Amino acid sequence: MIQATQISKVYNGITVLSVDHLTISKAEHFGLVGNNGAGKTTLFSLLLDLIQPTTGAVTNHGVNVAASESWKKTTAAFIDDNFLIDYLTPEEYFEFVAQLRKTSKEALAAFLAPFSDFFNDEILNQKKYIRDFSKGNQKKIGLVAAFIGDPSMVILDEPFANLDPSSQFKLKTFLANETNKERTLVISSHDLNHVTDVCNRIVLLEKGEIIRDIPKTPKTLKELEAYFSGQ
Amino acid sequence: MNLFSLQWKETFRAPQWEAKMSIKIIMTLVTIYFLGSFLFGASVVYPILNQKILDREPLEVFNSIVLYFFFVELIIRFFLQQLPVTNIQSLILLPFKKQKIIHHVLLKSIFSGFNLWPFIIYLPFAISMVKDDYLGSAVLAWWTSLLLVTLSINFINYIINKNNFFFVLLLLALAGVIALDGYNYFDLGAWVGKAFDKVVKEPVLFWAFLIPLIGCYSLVFRYLKKGFYLDAGLTKKKKSVQGGDFKALNFLGNNALFLKNDLRMIIRNIRPRQTVLMSFLFLFYGLIFFSQDIYSDQAYVLVFASLFVTGGFTMTFGNYVPAWDSSCYKLLMTQNLAYKDYLLSKWNLMVFVTAVLTILSLPYVYFGWNILALILAGALFNMGLSTWITLLGGLMNKSPMKLNVKAKAFENTQAFSLNQFLMIIPKLIVPVLLYAVPAALISPVAGYFSLGGGGVLGIIFKNQLADWTTKLYIKQKHETIEAFNK
Repeated sequence: MIQATQISKVYNGITVLSVDHLTISKAEHFGLVGNNGAGKTTLFSLLLDLIQPTTGAVTNHGVNVAASESWKKTTAAFIDDNFLIDYLTPEEYFEFVAQLRKTSKEALAAFLAPFSDFFNDEILNQKKYIRDFSKGNQKKIGLVAAFIGDPSMVILDEPFANLDPSSQFKLKTFLANETNKERTLVISSHDLNHVTDVCNRIVLLEKGEIIRDIPKTPKTLKELEAYFSGQ
Repeated sequence: MNLFSLQWKETFRAPQWEAKMSIKIIMTLVTIYFLGSFLFGASVVYPILNQKILDREPLEVFNSIVLYFFFVELIIRFFLQQLPVTNIQSLILLPFKKQKIIHHVLLKSIFSGFNLWPFIIYLPFAISMVKDDYLGSAVLAWWTSLLLVTLSINFINYIINKNNFFFVLLLLALAGVIALDGYNYFDLGAWVGKAFDKVVKEPVLFWAFLIPLIGCYSLVFRYLKKGFYLDAGLTKKKKSVQGGDFKALNFLGNNALFLKNDLRMIIRNIRPRQTVLMSFLFLFYGLIFFSQDIYSDQAYVLVFASLFVTGGFTMTFGNYVPAWDSSCYKLLMTQNLAYKDYLLSKWNLMVFVTAVLTILSLPYVYFGWNILALILAGALFNMGLSTWITLLGGLMNKSPMKLNVKAKAFENTQAFSLNQFLMIIPKLIVPVLLYAVPAALISPVAGYFSLGGGGVLGIIFKNQLADWTTKLYIKQKHETIEAFNK
C-alpha cells in the first residue's frame, strides 16, 4: 500500500528523518516506536503529504501522495488537534466527516452505535463544542472519526496518549480485533505494551533512522524493553 | 513585584516582539501616522469651533458632546479590548494572596493602549485651551476628570464584556439618550457637559470624578473575587450550543457542507463575529462621502465609498481565508474533499452577504439615483472580482487565527506583508479605473456599466477563476500547513 523510497527530511541543516526504503502492506498492523524526536510524527506527516520530503517520495496505492489527491479517498488519519474542528459538536463533526467520506446518516448512526461503551456516555448528546471537552474525550472523538467511511488505511499518532486506563484497554481491544480485516493500521505509541498487543510488525526509529524492523513475536516486548531501558 | 516581573516577561517574550525588524519598523511608522493624525485632528478642533461657532465657547460645545465620546469609547473597547483576566489561571495555586492577584489584574488593565484615549483626544484640546488663556489649573482639572472617566470606562468594560445583556443595555441607553435629545425632552449630553463646565470654573470639583472610578473599580473587584475559581468567571464561559442544522441550505449540495460550517464558525466564535459586525459598520461609510458636496465631482472618492459600503464583509472575511480554518487545516488537507468546493463555499458566503449589504444600502438612493447606480455597480464588482482578489490576498496571510479570542489592534503584525499591501492595488485601483475611464470618455452611465460589468464577468467565469485560485492554494499547501502549525 505504502511505499517510501529514499525519503529524508532536513530542517535547517539537521536531518530529522532518513529512510532508505519502507513498505507497508495491505492489512498490516504497523507499529512505530521511538523516543521523542525520533521522527515518528515527521514520518506520518510525510505519508499524509502534510510536509514535503527533502528527498524521495511516498506512494500510496502506487500514486505519489504529493502529486495526486486520490489517496485521500482511502486513507484517514488522526495526528493531533488540528484534525478536529473545535467549534462543532461531536455529532456535527462526525456528520461533516461522514459527508466527506460519502457515508449516509443511517450508516453513520450504525457505525457509531458500537462505540457507546468507548464513549462512556460522555461524547454524544452533550450539547457541547469539541473545544469544551477534556483532552481525553477530544482524542476519542478524533480517533473514532478516523474510521468513518471504512477507509482502507488509518494512521494514528499516539492513539493511547491522554486516554484513561479503561479507555486505553477498550481502544486496544477495538484495534486488535479490527472488524475490517483488510484494513491497514499505522500507529505510533510510547506504550510498548499496547503497541505490541495491537501490531503485528514493529518498527523502531532512532534519530530519524529505522534501526529495527521486526515481525511481532512473543519476545518482541522484552526486546523493546531492553532497547529502551538501555541494556 | 513578582507579578510585575512576570508581566514584563510576558510582554517582551510575546511573538509580536520577535517579528521581523522590517515589519516592526513599518508598524511603528503606521502607529506614529495614526497617532499623529489623531493628534492633528484633535488639535484643529478647538480653533475650528472658535471660528465657526461665535455665540458659544468652544469648550462648552465640546463638553456638551463629550458624553457621546464616552459611548464611542466604550463601544470601541467592547469590540477590541482584550481583558487580561484569563492569564490568572496559572497563578491561582501559587502563593499569592487572592486580592493581590485581582488588584494586579485590574491595575494591569490600566496600561492598555486604550487608556491613551485622553492623551490623544482630550490633551490637544486642553493645550489649545491653555493657549486661549484658560487657567492652567482649570485645564488640568478638566483634563484629569476626563482621564478619570476614561479609567472608569476601562473598568465598566469588564462588566459589559462578561455579559452581553449589559452591552444591549448600553446600546439601549445610547439610543435612549439620542432619542430624548432628538425630541427635545431631555438633553443628557448637555447635563454632562455642564458638569465639566463646572469643573473648569471650580477646579477642586474634579475630585468628584474619583467617585465613579472607585465605584467601578470596587464593583469589578467584587465581581472577580466572587468568581475567583477555575470554574467561574476566570475561564472563558462554556456556552451552550448555538446555531442549528441550517437544513434550508441543503439544496446547495456539497457547497452546503462547508457553508454550514462557516456559518457555525461565525456564530460560535468571537473573532469572526466581530468581523461580521464590523462589516455592517462599513455600510455607513457612504454617509461620510455622499453627504459632502465637495466629493460629488471626485469620481474616485465616490467609487471607493461605494465599494466600501457593500464590500465590508468581503474585505474583512475574505482576507482571512484560509486562516479561519487554521485550527483544522490538517484535517481539511487530508480529507476526501475538493479544494475547489471549499473555496467556492467561501465565495458563496461572501456573495450572499454582499447581496444582503446591497439591499441594506438601498436607502442611499436619498443621495440621488447616480449614487445608487454606483453602489449597485460597486456591489457587482465586489461579488464578482473583489471576492477572488481577497481570496488571493488571504492566501498570503500566513498566521494562524485564534477564533475565540478578540482581535487586538495591530495584533496582526506577522500577517502584514508587502504582498498583502500590494493586493490593495487590484482591490481599489482597478475598480476606480473601470469606472473613471469610460465615465470620462463616454458618460457616467458607461462607467457604471463598465464597473458592474467587470463584476458580472467574474460571476460568469467563476469556475475558471475558482480553478485558477485553487491551483495557487494547492501550490502553497505545505507552506500554509507549516505556518498554521505554529
